[in-house]
Amino acid sequence: MKSINDRSQNIGSFVSQADDTIIICRCEEITKGEIRQAIHDGMFTVNEIRRYLRAGMGLCQGQTCGKLVKNLIARELCVIPDQLDPATSRSPMRPVEMKVLGNEEVTHV
Amino acid sequence: MKRYDLIVVGAGPAGLSAAIEAARCGMKVAVFDENAKPGGQLFKQIHKFFGSKEHQAKIRGYKIGETLLAEADESGVEVFLNATVAGIYLDKEVLVQIGEAMTHFKADTIIIATGAAENMVTFDGWTLPGVIGAGAAQTMMNLYGIKPGQRVLMLGSGNVGLVVSFQLMQAGCEVVALVDAAPRIGGYGVHAAKIARSGVPFYLSHTITKADGTDCVTGVTIAEVDEAFTPIPGTEKHFDVDTICLAVGLSPMSQLLKMAGCNMVDDPRRGGQVPLVSENGQTSIPGLFAAGDVSGIEEASSAMIGGRMSGLAAAAYLGFLSEQDKDKRLADLEIALDSLHQGMFAPGSKGQAFAKTDEGIAVSQSLLKKGYLDDTDLERFFHRSDQTDKKSGIHPVIECTQNIPCNPCQDACTRGCIKIGKTITALPRIDAANSCTGCGLCIASCSGQAIFLVDEDYAPGYASITLPYEFLPLPQKGQLGTALSRSGQPLSTAEIIDVRSAKAFDHTTLVTIKVPVAQAMTARFFKPATHAAGQ
Repeated sequence: MKSINDRSQNIGSFVSQADDTIIICRCEEITKGEIRQAIHDGMFTVNEIRRYLRAGMGLCQGQTCGKLVKNLIARELCVIPDQLDPATSRSPMRPVEMKVLGNEEVTHV
Repeated sequence: MKRYDLIVVGAGPAGLSAAIEAARCGMKVAVFDENAKPGGQLFKQIHKFFGSKEHQAKIRGYKIGETLLAEADESGVEVFLNATVAGIYLDKEVLVQIGEAMTHFKADTIIIATGAAENMVTFDGWTLPGVIGAGAAQTMMNLYGIKPGQRVLMLGSGNVGLVVSFQLMQAGCEVVALVDAAPRIGGYGVHAAKIARSGVPFYLSHTITKADGTDCVTGVTIAEVDEAFTPIPGTEKHFDVDTICLAVGLSPMSQLLKMAGCNMVDDPRRGGQVPLVSENGQTSIPGLFAAGDVSGIEEASSAMIGGRMSGLAAAAYLGFLSEQDKDKRLADLEIALDSLHQGMFAPGSKGQAFAKTDEGIAVSQSLLKKGYLDDTDLERFFHRSDQTDKKSGIHPVIECTQNIPCNPCQDACTRGCIKIGKTITALPRIDAANSCTGCGLCIASCSGQAIFLVDEDYAPGYASITLPYEFLPLPQKGQLGTALSRSGQPLSTAEIIDVRSAKAFDHTTLVTIKVPVAQAMTARFFKPATHAAGQ
């Protein structure tokens, strides 16, 4: 947790980069620039980025971009990626259609 | 709610192995896998595995998968396919999507063996159709018989990148280059050598800067990188390709363990988020185990051993196995696992640069940078003081120069020409006191395709070279083609003088070529003349 919870720290202002248009989260089509901007808006954790931009909330549930987002945050905050927690894991672990999720087999033993 | 003694999540090598051991101890076991077919990645592995007998070395991965499935069936394991575990809750309750319903199961022990997912790297154009993971390429080729593309560039020179590059060539694709940002080839030298001698160039300290195309990949630009992995302007090289394959590492799919509340750690050496485990994969939650890649990226052989260990531990935890029996059986598995964890590519040596082999021979820098042994390496490795030279008649030449845990060649030679000894990572030595009959079993037994039979006295002025060949169509006796050097350079016209296939060779065909005697120690591959085969 360490320094990343210190929201008063100055990480400098957002400076656009040449490759900001590259897509990082393919499922939700979130670009590198959007994620970097969000970090400068104060989103310092993978969970916050998820809720703010939906990066990692699509079909693959962050399986592809999870590490990429984490590395972007680490770079902007000047910390080692291992110091950042990954996104919370919760059920359903894979995308499930609502009609299936609602079709719960309830048997009492 | 259905109850089991053990629920295993994932029917790959680790999960199936765990389930088999537990079921044999008398446990009622269910295995859930989200895929339509069991076996995890095993059925994509068409190459021969490394290791020794107890690791099922020299057996192809898909055959090991078939054996595991048969064993699971015999031992009474229930395997649920298309069964996606959606969550793990308190007291080992598991929620599974099966068909159109969510079903609850409960167990007294759980083993998570969910494996890993491929990493991606981003560059301009990385989301274009045609940029695929190496695993996806393997799935297309080896499970569904579909060629991923015609011209492919591979990024990543670890064993996955090397093995899949070779398989792409076997499937009939042209691999234009193998690229890695690291300064050294990451995987086994013998895997790299197979690719290099077919003429594929390696670009180390290079990375992809751009994928061209609007609707799909039409080309790729790579550039050299400096020590900070930043592309150096002016070093760009362009290739026309329709496919870019990424083999840049794996990440454990450990989300279920995290959700269950296991203590986790971020360990880059193990691939990312992994559970903290004590021996046999026991996590911080009693009765909940992790086995295989989900607890740290390794390979299938160690995953199978790790799975067996977790299965036994789960059985002992519930009293299906006495502590005494458990310790006895685990001891053997620990020895087997330990022997896989030796040598230059051991998990503990990741990224380490070795200057010398265990035998004290300077390692081949050419092999690490270009994928093939150069002439000075031959001098060092083939004229060693600990082996006797043999110049007349047919004899094996073993181009195995790194300490890797593998020894089937030793058992393959019935004449005792090949010696490795008790240390599984030792380099094979030739004992010329025993005479080679040219049977070729050593060639077929070498998972790295690094053994050749050479006869400098084949005919006046000519030598014969017998080499492993795993491409179709098979060359025919009498056919002409080109002998290629270790670096894939054309040397001379070569004539096929023998083609041998046998059940014992397990789909490795032994092709014997006739080349000028001066090329006895330089020619290492055969390229059929164009329009020759099948026309």
